Amino acid sequence: MAWLSAFKFRLNTLGIVLIPVCIAIDWAGHAIASGLRLPLFLDSIGTILGGILAGPWVGGLAGFITNLISSGTIDPIWQRQPRGWIGIWILCFLVASIGSTPLNIGLYQGQSGIPFGDAIYTALVNAHFPTWIAAYVDEAAVDLPDKLITALVAVLIYQGLPRRYRALFRLYQPDDDAEGERSPARA
Amino acid sequence: MARGLSLYAEGSSPLHRAHPLTKATLTLCAIGLAFILPSWPLVLGVGVALLSLLAAAGVLRRFLFVAAGLLVPITLLLALVQSLANPHNQTVILPLGPLAVHREGLYIGLLAALRIADLVAATFLFSFTTRPADLAEALMQRGLSPRFGYVIQSALQIIPQSLETADRIRDAQRARGLETEGPLPRRARAFIPLLLPLVLSALVATQERAMALEVRGFGLKVGRLARYRIPDSLGQRVLRWGLALAVVAALAARLRGWL
Amino acid sequence: MTPVIAMAAARYRYPETDHDALGPVDLAIGPGEWVGVVGPTNAGKSTLCYVIIGLAPQFFGGRLRGEVSVFGSPTASQPVNERSRRAGLLFQNPFTQLSGARERVDEEVAFGPEAHGLPQAEVEERVAEALRLTGLQDLRARHPLDLSGGQLQRLALAALLAMRPELLLLDEPTSQLDPAGSRALFDVLRGLHAAGTTIVMVEHRLEAVAAMCPRVIALGEGRLLADGAPAEVFNRPEVQASAGIPAFARLAALVGKGPPLPVTFESAVEALRG
Repeated sequence: MAWLSAFKFRLNTLGIVLIPVCIAIDWAGHAIASGLRLPLFLDSIGTILGGILAGPWVGGLAGFITNLISSGTIDPIWQRQPRGWIGIWILCFLVASIGSTPLNIGLYQGQSGIPFGDAIYTALVNAHFPTWIAAYVDEAAVDLPDKLITALVAVLIYQGLPRRYRALFRLYQPDDDAEGERSPARA
Repeated sequence: MARGLSLYAEGSSPLHRAHPLTKATLTLCAIGLAFILPSWPLVLGVGVALLSLLAAAGVLRRFLFVAAGLLVPITLLLALVQSLANPHNQTVILPLGPLAVHREGLYIGLLAALRIADLVAATFLFSFTTRPADLAEALMQRGLSPRFGYVIQSALQIIPQSLETADRIRDAQRARGLETEGPLPRRARAFIPLLLPLVLSALVATQERAMALEVRGFGLKVGRLARYRIPDSLGQRVLRWGLALAVVAALAARLRGWL
Repeated sequence: MTPVIAMAAARYRYPETDHDALGPVDLAIGPGEWVGVVGPTNAGKSTLCYVIIGLAPQFFGGRLRGEVSVFGSPTASQPVNERSRRAGLLFQNPFTQLSGARERVDEEVAFGPEAHGLPQAEVEERVAEALRLTGLQDLRARHPLDLSGGQLQRLALAALLAMRPELLLLDEPTSQLDPAGSRALFDVLRGLHAAGTTIVMVEHRLEAVAAMCPRVIALGEGRLLADGAPAEVFNRPEVQASAGIPAFARLAALVGKGPPLPVTFESAVEALRG
């Protein structure tokens, strides 16, 4: 179960400095998407990129703080990313949609606030579906395309980075390898 | 050059001078009460109290200006959707083809909108009267690790800077022939060429910054002494505890069915 | 007298590379010396700084062999952030050295002392002293991003000086500065040298190195090519071929003045007159 080691809490200076940078990339991504008038939020690219580069704690903290700052509410989205971009997409989508739904139910009577999603909500409730299902589908319908594209973009950017950055930030490597070469995570 | 991200509005009202944790407690308790209290007069009462605090801090007009853009669409959407589609709907006010506007849903939607308005007012009250640096400092004096204080302080500065950088990259890429107008696929193709340079330079900077911080002693586990005094008082401490207790009491009362 | 820096058969290799970036190197630097480090790109000059301060291997990973001691203790025995009490490293880029978390020059300088948990009064005293040493007192209330490149580099230096380091490493500190900025920085260094700080300075402005550093080390492909006085080092053919020749020496050579070539302004004037 080597992949479980990825979740051990390990945060060195590089990881700490990376968190605000991921937040900044989140915002820049969103700003660029708005500037290009694309019909998506794309406000989580930095979070996911941070998760790919440096593991779930950096990604999670960055995502958490981005949400804190942008919405003014506390939205407990922990984004954990195993490798493989389909996995990333499905996981983010599940976490984002499941994480947001209770919040939506508590604050917004189950609505997501996006007209297209809320229209689905309306239809479902009138068809006598329980509120929480309607709320989830509402949120999910909005999150599905957004998180898919976000994950895709993040992975594309990661592939476009020079190799040494990928090694440098890799906080979730197992400790010292056989040769005694110290991995940066030990710093 | 962009400065730190903050809504702070200069001023010298008692609210501005209050300790950041007092204001944070006030905001969180107001939000708590707004969602715990069950009837609309009580929720409205919280809202009125917040509005008068906003006025006392001299930021009421600023708030109304900013909040209108946020709250009007939310209210309309909530009122509309809930009146059409809430499980408690019974009494029809206005039939609309296959759907109908119901009184119960309308009430529920408007009450939800009122709560959100309270939340927004409370959050803005905090943001307008508190310098982010003061909040970070207050938290660190109370024991927040300086490493996480750093994350907050750095995020607040780095976000506006990165937005500026994004603009500069856009201008540079456009000068090189990148198309940012036109049909959707063309605009979508411009996304990565606009974001990638920013990510690359940000990562280089991250490595160098982390090295420079280490060399200056970042992350040492020593007690962090106060950088500057943020005035606090017994009265404020009492107020903070009082507010927290009020919320707990309201919650207990609600759970017991007294409210 | 314990050397400030002692390296014996030191070698360092970055992770995922197949050759040593530095080494083997034998080197001893005593207290109060001002040593210039010259060499072509990728000669290992920056790596030398990272190894001395401990970033290599603690920050980068990779493999360090041989002995590297600073102030008598091996670099591996202390985390980099603790070492900051006695040694500092100034990087090339004025912008990325900023913490990014402070909105005033004096708060930026206070970052280090605060991180070390010093009492408030002492922090203020050190900040005032560091600002005075670097000539930035008048700018103490400004936002760091309002400063010019040269001023920012002095700010970064002030931030290091607030810790009162006995050893100061500088990695191409003037490469992004204009001549006025460089001059201002070198003035500060001269003052520090006079006060007894040990300085190791990687610089590509060979004229400055020849003029200010009593001792010069030339690196090539990770190894020491020469170690001695500037006039001696810059007259070695292998150094001239890799690190280059100070402008005055080149001038003198053009005019036909034979080896040894003068390497500083004054000695060149002497030679050209005679």
